[in-house]
Amino acid sequence: MTVLETRGLGKRYRRLWALSDCTLSVPAGHVVGLVGPNGAGKTTLLSLAVGLLAPTTGTIEVLGGRPAERLPRVGYLAQDAPVYAGLSLADHLAFGARLNPGWDAALASDRIERLDLDPAQKAGTLSGGQRAQLALTLAVAKRPELLLLDEPVASLDPLARREFLQDLMEAVAEQELSVVLSSHLVADLERVCDYLILLVGSRVRLAGPVDELLATHHLLTGPRRDPDTLPKALEVITASHTNRQTTLLVRTSSPVLDPAWSVSEVGLEDLVLAYLSQVTGRGRRRLEVQK
Amino acid sequence: MIWLTWRQFRAQAITAAAVLVVFAVLLAVTGPHLASLYAASGIAGCHGSSCGQLASSFVGRLQAAGPYPALDVLSIAVIILTPAMIGVFWGAPLIARELETGTFRLAWTQSVSRARWLAVKLGLVGLAAMALTEGLSLMQAWWAAPLGRAVGYGAGGSLLAAGRFAPAVFASHGITPLGYAAFAFVLGAATGVLIRHAIPAMAVTLAIFAVVQIAVPLWIRPHLIPADHVVAPLSLVQTSLVGVTSPDNLSFPADGLLSEPGAWILSSGPVTSAGQPVITPPAACGVGRGVNLDLLAGCLARQGVRESISYQPVSRFWALQWVETAIYLILALALAWYCFWRVDRRLA
Repeated sequence: MTVLETRGLGKRYRRLWALSDCTLSVPAGHVVGLVGPNGAGKTTLLSLAVGLLAPTTGTIEVLGGRPAERLPRVGYLAQDAPVYAGLSLADHLAFGARLNPGWDAALASDRIERLDLDPAQKAGTLSGGQRAQLALTLAVAKRPELLLLDEPVASLDPLARREFLQDLMEAVAEQELSVVLSSHLVADLERVCDYLILLVGSRVRLAGPVDELLATHHLLTGPRRDPDTLPKALEVITASHTNRQTTLLVRTSSPVLDPAWSVSEVGLEDLVLAYLSQVTGRGRRRLEVQK
Repeated sequence: MIWLTWRQFRAQAITAAAVLVVFAVLLAVTGPHLASLYAASGIAGCHGSSCGQLASSFVGRLQAAGPYPALDVLSIAVIILTPAMIGVFWGAPLIARELETGTFRLAWTQSVSRARWLAVKLGLVGLAAMALTEGLSLMQAWWAAPLGRAVGYGAGGSLLAAGRFAPAVFASHGITPLGYAAFAFVLGAATGVLIRHAIPAMAVTLAIFAVVQIAVPLWIRPHLIPADHVVAPLSLVQTSLVGVTSPDNLSFPADGLLSEPGAWILSSGPVTSAGQPVITPPAACGVGRGVNLDLLAGCLARQGVRESISYQPVSRFWALQWVETAIYLILALALAWYCFWRVDRRLA
């Protein structure tokens, strides 16, 4: 079963395409990291998935149906975690209970208690982290099959970030739900996600299980060489050269046997950075300096 | 959804209840005394021409002293301003605030569809708006009933005893307050959907509603039902000829020429026997300063000059109320449809 399936999905705001030609099929049971620089289309994709936006082109199916119809089975945490400033935490839980037939009141009040929050407190007085926790509580206590989180940790300090993600992983383990969470920082997601979607410039650049992605990407170092002379099976993502040495990030499904190369594994963050720098020349130079 | 609507509307509902209670207490305390003054005036048991005099002296006494003129003006002002306040403070922020603060992304991603969310909000708050305004109107109508009866006997002319067609009276009595409340509320909501910011939406709502409320009595209400026309001989009511104030400016008090009092005179002016409007007195009647006005009037009547009057008879009060209210309700429905269309299809 797929939790998210898109075909040729595109969304245009006036003349600007926020998302174009997006074809994805995300299987159930994963924690999916939706990564990309600011403005890459992450929020647009998630908004399309909960029906807040309608596609300009293509189709999107969530849990096998139209996004608006699947809302009772989808938990959504919008960017900046909007809550009603004038309503208390208890009011927010009542809000969740009244608007969702599958509401788990015990789970919700447990979470509020565990977070050490006063139910009588007005949501407007919460800190950024507490607000994100409250919004996550609303999304999780709905008992969804799919949880969509838009930049949930962007406004949090590093400690709150770690706590939030830990908390999220506990909820995931308890409820066996699929999660898609977006961030413009790979480091945030590296520890929690086992599936990656990389959006760059409104297009999907990379999508797949993290272990598979890591297994098919290699960092090759060897004597200086023109990348065009490499075998076709190696897809070069980035190349950098010094006077005597060439460093390549390549994608291949078969092992690299050429003894001229020393092959090393690549981390998820480096992998993502490589794809990002591939798009802009300026990014490539920056990467070369780093190497 | 009903709970959420109530929870978000609670503060406004309490304000509205407070206004309603203060209004009710003020009228309930003064109303019986006003009714007793009316009973003591003897109008109830009057006969023939004495009725008009009794009614006029009753209104005259109220006018001279006591809180009643001020209370009448104040209560009518409250009824007329209430729909505007509802549009500004209930309607405009209803959806605009959710769009402005981003909470629409929370509200519209629960298990309740957007259409239902909007239907319950517009429906419940809209009904509250109509109930509040009509409640105020009914209370005022009860309180002002003695004044209305005095006007019915011909005690017109003053602010306290304005006729039923006076713009402020027409707009604050009967069923029109229902239409205004519904229209103002949905106008506010629709403006909020369009502008997406509460404060500008509030200002625009107030401006549009004010323009509509001024334009309708001036240009639209007179023509909701085709007006009646009558050409009355000047001799019909002799006293009316006193109304000729200057030979250069011929005008007659038209209501005295109609068979039933209380009509809404839309336009009136003297015409010749051929139906041509008379702008200056015919030469035969002599022109120039120092002309005796009574003689001039008699001369005009002999020349066949008559008064042409275009008017809505008093019996059309309810018909005009229904037509105007229906128009406002239809506008409210159209704006509500726009809100649904935008919220369900266009926005995010």
